[in-house]
Order: sequence, then structure tokens, then C-alpha cells
Amino acid sequence: MWSVVKSVLAALLGVQSNQKREEDFSSGRPAAYFVTGVVITLLFVLMLVFLAMFAAR
Amino acid sequence: MRSRWWLMAVSLAASGSQAQTNGWNMPVGVTDVSSDIYGLHMTIFWICVVIGLVVFGAMFYSLFRYRHSKGAKAAHFHEHTSVEVLWTAIPILILVGMAVPATATLKNMYDSSDAELDVMITGQQWRWRYEYLGEDVAFTSNMSTPRTQISGEETRGEHYLLEVDEPLVLPINRKVRFLMTSDDVIHSWWVPDLAVKQDTIPGFINENWVKINEPGIYRGQCAELCGIDHGFMPVVVHAVEEEEFDGWLAERKEAAEQEAMGVDREWAMDELVERGESVYQSICSSCHQAEGQGSPPAFPALANNEQLINDVDWHLDRVVNGVSGAAMPAFRSTLNPVEIAAVVTYTRNAWGNDTGDVVQPSAVAELIAQ
Repeated sequence: MWSVVKSVLAALLGVQSNQKREEDFSSGRPAAYFVTGVVITLLFVLMLVFLAMFAAR
Repeated sequence: MRSRWWLMAVSLAASGSQAQTNGWNMPVGVTDVSSDIYGLHMTIFWICVVIGLVVFGAMFYSLFRYRHSKGAKAAHFHEHTSVEVLWTAIPILILVGMAVPATATLKNMYDSSDAELDVMITGQQWRWRYEYLGEDVAFTSNMSTPRTQISGEETRGEHYLLEVDEPLVLPINRKVRFLMTSDDVIHSWWVPDLAVKQDTIPGFINENWVKINEPGIYRGQCAELCGIDHGFMPVVVHAVEEEEFDGWLAERKEAAEQEAMGVDREWAMDELVERGESVYQSICSSCHQAEGQGSPPAFPALANNEQLINDVDWHLDRVVNGVSGAAMPAFRSTLNPVEIAAVVTYTRNAWGNDTGDVVQPSAVAELIAQ
């Protein structure tokens, strides 16, 4: 689970090591990556919304 | 030469406020919003300067220090995750850091609530129309630079292309809301000192606002290419003390009432021709030319125009309702009945059009009411 989250966060940042990428593609189910990706993207959007609300006071 | 550039760089760096007067930087302006924008601009400018110095400094240092002639050998490696993460995270932090103050300013810029005065700004080819909503005061603002200065027959004045016959008059220390739209194509109402640059779009109403801190004359231009005379529709704003503004508005209201009464009375031909000539020169002459000779095929001649001379109703209809599919706009809401009657009377009796016709303002008012 933690490994999936780490991979998704790495994808969000756009930086991933080649070794980890090969691990991800050889093990684990694709669905787990899709779901985690959607959830983390939503969290990221919410974070931006809160940041904007804070900035605008 | 070198020392002059150096001096300039030092004086720019030494004082941000001086930069506004030398024309090299954007103006600080005369509203709180404009000085906020200037502050943001300078903050981000210095952030960019620091980033530029660090990045190019590191690059040039590396190029020099590890050059081939000193026997430097390139390191060959495929990836370095921690460095990559670092150089991705730092720009994120910088961008978020810049976004925080910018968001606050943007939100303030677009908050036009609680305004004490509403002004409708309408762009037209090629002039601005200002309407003080709820006050019955409205007028068009035309460029007053003579065409002879543009063609080079006369020397250019101090405010060449940036002067108008009737400026927009606004009070200082009061929040003024602008409702901005257009009658024909997209224009943009731009006054740098007020930090307002807003597109005016046919069929849409954009909002903006100002609260001017200092009295003065502020000049601007149309900032969206809108046709042949795009460069000839300047904006001039007179910001005056509150009492002076109230006096001006009361005066204009009274004049508007006088004008409305003028619709009902019978006008003499001389009066109409005199009035019509000034309307013609400020509104019509940019297309139909000063002597009514036009500029065919887009802008037909009015002098010796058979159809115009023979049919007064047709002529009046063109001015009131415009010509669909052609450049001629409808003037029913731009000009008042007196102005329309005057300009029609004038064009029917100028440049050899000796019809002797007199069109009365009351007849125009009736036509518009239909």
C-alpha cells in the first residue's frame, strides 16, 4: 500500500527512479494505482483550494 | 557609455519609486490596487533576478572551472533521485510563495461590491461612451487631436493622440464601479495609472472598479485592435475632489434636462447646422471625411449623394438605425434627438447639398420612440 502511494506521489512530482518503476510494473494490480491516483489528485486540488482561500483571507 | 549603463542600473536598483518616472518600468499609479500590483511586479522581478543570478552563476562557474583544457572528465550517471526531487520541489515552493500575495491582490481587484458610483463604459468604433448610471448623464468621448497633426501638416501637440473633447470625470476617494461593454467589436479600456485594462465585449458586461487617491489627469488608450482608427480612441480621466465632482455632475444633469426640453421646441436652421457641424466633425468625419467626400467603397460620399439628397426619410433612417451588414452603426442610443436632427440637417445643407431641408428634433424623437 505504502509503495503504491509513494509511486503515485512520485508521478505527481514527475520524478521516479528506474529501479522503482520496474518494480511497480512487475508487481501489484493496475487498479490500485488508478484509484490511489484519483484520490491523491482530489486531495491535491482540495489543498490548492484551501491555500487559495487562505491567501485571499 | 559603459559608465552610463552602470549608473542607470545602480539608480534602478537603489530606488523602486524612481523607476516609475523614467519610463522604464510600469507606473505605480494612483490607486491602492495599482500600487499593490506594482509591489507584486517588483517582488517577482527581484525573485527572477536572484534565480537568474544563481542559475547562470552556477552554470558559468561550472563551464569555466571544469573546462576541457584543464583535463575535466564528464561524469556518466543515469539518474539521481534526490537531486531531481530537490530541483522540482524548490520551484514549487517559489511558485506557491509568489501565488499567495498575487491571489490576495487578484481577489481584491475583482471585488467591485459596495461602489458609490456606477459608470457604464461602452466602446464604439472609434470612441468611448460614458454613462453615469442613475444620474441621467451620458456623453461620448472623442479624440480631439486634429487630423492635420496626424497627417503631418501641423506640428504635434503635447498630448498627441491622447486628448479628448470630453474626458471621463471621476471623484477621488470614492469607489467607482465600471460596467464595460461594446456596441460593435472588442475594445479594451486601458488606463495604466488606474491599473485598469479590461476588454469591452459586445453582448457581455465586464466589471471593474477604481478608488483614486490623487486628483489629476490620467491618460490611456484602447488596447485591443478594433479597426482602422484603433489608435485614435484615447481615454482621458479627470480625477477631481469630491465636492468639485458633485458640482460637475449637478451641472451636467441640468444641461441634460435643458437638452431634453430642447427636443420639444422648434429649432431654426442656423442653430441646427451649427450644432450639426460639430457633431459631424467629432462623430462622422472619421469615416465620411471632413468634406463629406467619403472613402468609397467602405464609406460612401455624402456630398452630392443623389439618394441622400432626394430622400430625407431614407437619410434619417440610416443615421437612426444604421445599415446592417455595413460599417454604418445605429446612432439611436449614441446620439440624442437634437444631435441627430442637427447632423442630418447639416449634411443635407453642406458641401453643395443645398436641399434646404430642416429636420426637427421632435420628429427624430418620434421616430426613435416607434
